[in-house]
Amino acid sequence: MKKLTQQDVRGLASYARIGLSDEELPQMTEDLNNIIATLEPILEYNLEGVEPTFHPIGSLSNVMREDVEVPGLTQEQALSNAPAAQDGSFLIPSILGEGGDR
Amino acid sequence: MSSVKKLEEVLKDWEAVIGLEIHTELTTLNTKMFCGCKLEFGAQPNTHVCPVCLGLPGALPVPNKAAIESIVLAGLATNCDIEKHSMFYRKNYMYPDMAKNFQTTQGPVAFCMRGYLDLDVDGAGAKERYGLEDLAEGQTQDNITRTKDGYVAHVGITRIHMEEDAGKMIHVGGGEGRIAGATHSLVDYNRAGTPLIELVTEPDLRTPEEARLFMQKLRQIFLALGISDCSMEEGSMRCDGNVSLRRRGTTQFGTKTELKNMNSFKNLHDGLLYEICRQAEVLEEGGIIYQETRHWDPSAKRTIVMRVKETADDYRLFPEPDLAPYDLTDEWIDSVRAKLPELPDQKAARFQRDFGLSAYDARHLVAEPAVAAFFQECMDVSKGPDAQDDSTRKLAKALANLCINDITARANADAAFDLASPECPLTPARAVELVGLISSDAISSKQGKEVFAAVIELDRDPGTIVEERGMKQVSDTGAIEAVVDQVIAENQDAVARYKDGNVKLIGFFVGNCMKALKGQGNPKLINQIVAEKLNQ
Repeated sequence: MKKLTQQDVRGLASYARIGLSDEELPQMTEDLNNIIATLEPILEYNLEGVEPTFHPIGSLSNVMREDVEVPGLTQEQALSNAPAAQDGSFLIPSILGEGGDR
Repeated sequence: MSSVKKLEEVLKDWEAVIGLEIHTELTTLNTKMFCGCKLEFGAQPNTHVCPVCLGLPGALPVPNKAAIESIVLAGLATNCDIEKHSMFYRKNYMYPDMAKNFQTTQGPVAFCMRGYLDLDVDGAGAKERYGLEDLAEGQTQDNITRTKDGYVAHVGITRIHMEEDAGKMIHVGGGEGRIAGATHSLVDYNRAGTPLIELVTEPDLRTPEEARLFMQKLRQIFLALGISDCSMEEGSMRCDGNVSLRRRGTTQFGTKTELKNMNSFKNLHDGLLYEICRQAEVLEEGGIIYQETRHWDPSAKRTIVMRVKETADDYRLFPEPDLAPYDLTDEWIDSVRAKLPELPDQKAARFQRDFGLSAYDARHLVAEPAVAAFFQECMDVSKGPDAQDDSTRKLAKALANLCINDITARANADAAFDLASPECPLTPARAVELVGLISSDAISSKQGKEVFAAVIELDRDPGTIVEERGMKQVSDTGAIEAVVDQVIAENQDAVARYKDGNVKLIGFFVGNCMKALKGQGNPKLINQIVAEKLNQ
């Protein structure tokens, strides 16, 4: 299997919002490649036609709740861990560049 | 440049390929998608939140059964296959409007796949379709079939999937709430986790009018299903358009742009129209279309770049381990199917069958469920269904006109006017009485408009208002003849000029007679009698 480069790991860290210093990067790259290597034996199996196992919850399906209101948090509780709040809203630093696109 | 004429010119050389992505919030539910927080528009910020929709560690989501029923209803009503086996996925992105840092959505398999809607395109809007006049009635080409007044377009629906809405952000410190230049932002998570269904069409639309009609028809269906209030202004129904052009006769797709902020039917139409013309101009000058997101600015009537997509977004979509998959049974799907109401198309067909309405009237009548229900009640309290009966057909036609024109205009202009409310002064019985007064010539149609407004203002019966205001139209032939004789006697020089060939003077006589009758004469009768007397 293709090995992760330091650049790949830099990208992953950025996705995960983890700050990696230049010193940490080689070690992290080596660690991640070792982890992938331990999973490699799975490639030896012929898995053609086998349904992927996505869920650890076994045979559960169709779990749903009724459309009934359940009390949540108060505004005060909701904001109590926020570093900053204003007018009942979470206050966050400016976001530049990207749009909130879905 | 953005005139329809320009569009017709552009579409001679270019084929526009349009696909829509339509998000609809399930506003009629009580609670959010994965938690029991209340759904409420306009509440104080962060008062409908809990550990699940705030993405607090360890919180576990449980899907709302009524939301799953709603999306299955939406799929059944739009001819989709309902996929029995599907599941939720995480779409990962870092943005403060979603506290979890991922949106729960669906993967390659959605609850609803492979549907379609057939659109009736007629009137001026049908002219946008290139090559329509080359088709004979009943002839089919590509995805359209020519009809008497236009065509029917068959528009594929790729899928409808279940997901959740994000929170709302207010950007502070920049100009006009814009993100550029903002010093900080405020986040309200009340909307985060609102059940949202996203419908994606095939790239089957070819004109802005088809796109507008698709959105309109979908809105009518969702309103009939009662799954959303479908407010484009408040954003509970939102539409993005993907547009590209290709030379007529070629099959390869051009580069597409994504268009946002089309929050009304007019904006959807005009935004697409502008973008098609803009792309044609760029291409004809040898330029390149970049894959970018553009924002429709209705006041400036143009689209502006929001951002250029340099690299494909990597959302690292993977199955949501905290939610069990779905294995819907036939019995469950059938139990949802049993809840399907009469859909707009079915209702329109029935109105034609039962009351002899034209296809056009029937289609416009069913556009708003409340108006359609009102029309139905009017017929119920008067004639009942009998398309063979001449008087039933006439009454139905008159009521349809009242509903499509006066009532719809009133509802659009006056937010407090609610036909469905038991307190609404315009009851079905009064509407029937009003159209009866007009069709029996007791009052003129102009007076009818005044009575219509007065019924709503004063909460009184039409007949009472007509009497109180002395509005009775004079249809007494003797009384009208006397007035006509007098007017003719007083204007002998005009009579002479009329006899010399100035036939336009008939309007002068009719006008004077109407004045003498204080506007209450039956115009049809006056016209007839004046013409008779002058030609004697």
